[in-house]
Amino acid sequence: MEEHIAIKLNKAIHQKARLGIMSILMASKQVDFNYLKDRLKLTDGNLSSHLSLLEKEKYIKIKKKFVKKKPKTLCQMSDKGRQAFKEYLENLEKIIRSTP
Amino acid sequence: MQNKVLCFNVIRRKINEDKMNEEKKQEALENIELIKELVLQTKKHIGHYGGGWICFIWGIFSFTGVAGQRLLIPHGPLIGVWWIALAVVAGFATYLVTRRFTKNQPVKAQQDYMRYFLRFWIPLMLLGYTLATFIALLPSLSNHYISIVMLLVVSTGYLIIGFLFYRWILYMGFIGYIGSIICAVYFLQYNDIILGVLFGTGLIITGLFINKQWKNT
Repeated sequence: MEEHIAIKLNKAIHQKARLGIMSILMASKQVDFNYLKDRLKLTDGNLSSHLSLLEKEKYIKIKKKFVKKKPKTLCQMSDKGRQAFKEYLENLEKIIRSTP
Repeated sequence: MQNKVLCFNVIRRKINEDKMNEEKKQEALENIELIKELVLQTKKHIGHYGGGWICFIWGIFSFTGVAGQRLLIPHGPLIGVWWIALAVVAGFATYLVTRRFTKNQPVKAQQDYMRYFLRFWIPLMLLGYTLATFIALLPSLSNHYISIVMLLVVSTGYLIIGFLFYRWILYMGFIGYIGSIICAVYFLQYNDIILGVLFGTGLIITGLFINKQWKNT
């Protein structure tokens, strides 16, 4: 029996918060932690755990630096992440097309 | 009887499958909508650097500059100083606007915008300041040409930006060039008023257009 296309959806991306992070990173070169927090209405801890998961999958790169003596966390999409996101979108499209 | 139960189970499974597919489709549609919205909003945040407000500042600069120039005609050399001082104020206001609008961006892009701003406008501003200084220091030069020269300088900047980034800004450059030639040939006495009003109004209209376009994105 052929497996349903929904099973192929990337679990690391198929979650509202992580999907939000990936979408924002797709649209911009680099994004800081606070911007993501504000846009996605997440708490520090919640966002950190989602970012860690995406970083573990090597979908994003996280850089930490100091700007005017204040720590700043910058996130950037990796090539692998871009590819995974593209595939995820293709699978979503297939789901939509498969249902009459 | 057994056949009936089998048939009922097949139909029930089919209904459940259809229901599941419908739910998955709904979820997929919602996710695509979310992605679209976030991508669009992020692009909108990146693209906004207060361009409309910058146009307003330089539109007001144009009107104020011409009005001051008319008042200062009896004091000849002061006209050059007036334009320089006004341009410094307008330049500072532009810097403040850019800084304010880039503050909420994904990553503070204000350095990038300021770099672009400096690359295009500083050489042209230097040219404008030098010409204005000549007029201030050399009384033999006619004051009538100040606004024409300033307009040509600014129009050149618009043409550069228009050719490189935003095609529609080219119109401002061409209007500036054509207007300055017509005024220099036919209306030299009133060229400062005509060009100031023409350019100031053009800038304010451009500002309104940019702000409206940004809101509709």
